[in-house]
Amino acid sequence: MKALILLGCPETPSQTPMAVYAFSKLTQSGYDVTIAANPAASKLVKVSDPENYYNLNIVDLERTLGEVKEGDYDLLVGFVHKDAAAAFFVTFDQILNTKSIALVFERDLDLVGEFVDMIEESGSKAKIYAVRAFHNPSPIKVNFDKALKELE
Amino acid sequence: MSFCLDTYLQQSDNYEIHASKAGFKDCAMIIRFKADEIVYVKPGDQVLGVRVIGIPPIPIGIDDKKGTVFIPYTKPCHGTSVVELPIDAEEIDKIRELNTQ
Repeated sequence: MKALILLGCPETPSQTPMAVYAFSKLTQSGYDVTIAANPAASKLVKVSDPENYYNLNIVDLERTLGEVKEGDYDLLVGFVHKDAAAAFFVTFDQILNTKSIALVFERDLDLVGEFVDMIEESGSKAKIYAVRAFHNPSPIKVNFDKALKELE
Repeated sequence: MSFCLDTYLQQSDNYEIHASKAGFKDCAMIIRFKADEIVYVKPGDQVLGVRVIGIPPIPIGIDDKKGTVFIPYTKPCHGTSVVELPIDAEEIDKIRELNTQ
């Protein structure tokens, strides 16, 4: 089984630890995990694992978008904390046409609602887990654990 | 050789930005407002050598008289922009073939 984790803009502090957490948890669940991120978000994740303990597999987001096709992954997990991240998630979701989880978070609750609406309006069948969060990764971690449990 | 939007935007200044660092929905509205003809495509469809990013139905504007198209262009950290650029009639026809509506 293969899983793709999509990272958005790295401006949100909680994204980087959650990327490592999600990679580790999905690997433990038996997935062959790939993280797709832009160069800045990639570096933040890579520097977080200096001894290569997690053996993180990180690829370029835009190159992956150009190459990916239906059937390449069995699970899509997206961090959606910006308008652009919602647009990227919906696009990957439509291309892959597989099980998907959207972890929506923002410090502004109105924006959380906006991003959820964007995903729902796209006709996506993604499971959406939304919460108000920015610096503190705990609410996102709780949602991700719930998502993993519901996936079983 | 087929057209590539990323390369074009890096190597040419013959394009116009109608909105930048905006939300996708605002950009879609600008395209619908500015262009005479609208073609709706799916997220991930190949337009001008790149996969279009956005919420369906994604509008691509066409100005036949000027020979230009209006396309949403999304980057993770910079949001969505609306870019108007001149392209060949043949490329415009390829976009029309993608119309979902």
